[in-house]
Amino acid sequence: MDRWQYLIVLGACLFITAPLELLGSGVYRQPGRVAAAIWPVAAVYLIWDAIAVAAHVWSFNPRYILGALAPGDLPVEEVLFFVVIPLCALLTYSAVDSMLSVLRRRFAEVKRQ
Amino acid sequence: MSGLGYTAPAALAVFAVCALEFGILRTGLFRRPAYWISMVIVIGFQILVDGWLTKLTAPIVIYDDRQTIGVRFPFDIPLEDFLFGFALVTAVLLLWERRRHRPEVSEQ
Repeated sequence: MDRWQYLIVLGACLFITAPLELLGSGVYRQPGRVAAAIWPVAAVYLIWDAIAVAAHVWSFNPRYILGALAPGDLPVEEVLFFVVIPLCALLTYSAVDSMLSVLRRRFAEVKRQ
Repeated sequence: MSGLGYTAPAALAVFAVCALEFGILRTGLFRRPAYWISMVIVIGFQILVDGWLTKLTAPIVIYDDRQTIGVRFPFDIPLEDFLFGFALVTAVLLLWERRRHRPEVSEQ
């Protein structure tokens, strides 16, 4: 069960942020925009990550990962990290942004009255 | 590689993201209150998640302490992780903003 830890942490991140999709115009509902925002950044970070692993700057504890490796000797969980964390950030930003827009509109209405 | 093999690229990443915004994209992200509120929330959750990944009692990610400046707080999180996370999240939000549909032309 320990070997699922990293994957479970990532799953928990997606689970906790999922309801934010309901606020505003959403993230999962704009798949093209999501892909365009995430893939270039993930690509750069994966290269950085692979270099860091090759240079022994950091490593992954085999106790807490499933053991499947992606190119660059990165655990699959680590590759997923660069999709999951950006998704959580986008959901947070999108939700905050839409809540601020609602508040601004309310204030504008109150002022007009 | 000797020393700061994490610190140097992490600082470079922050610099690169700022250069991307101010030099090329100019999305205005840094002037949006939603960005700064989101970053506070993101950093709050980063401390929980990253703390779990890096805690020295049962680390999922193991760092070579010779490659960092050695500040690990809170929960043994290397200081560099906050630069790494800031640049990662900000870069994604910048590309997201670039594709913002603007029905109302916002103040520039």
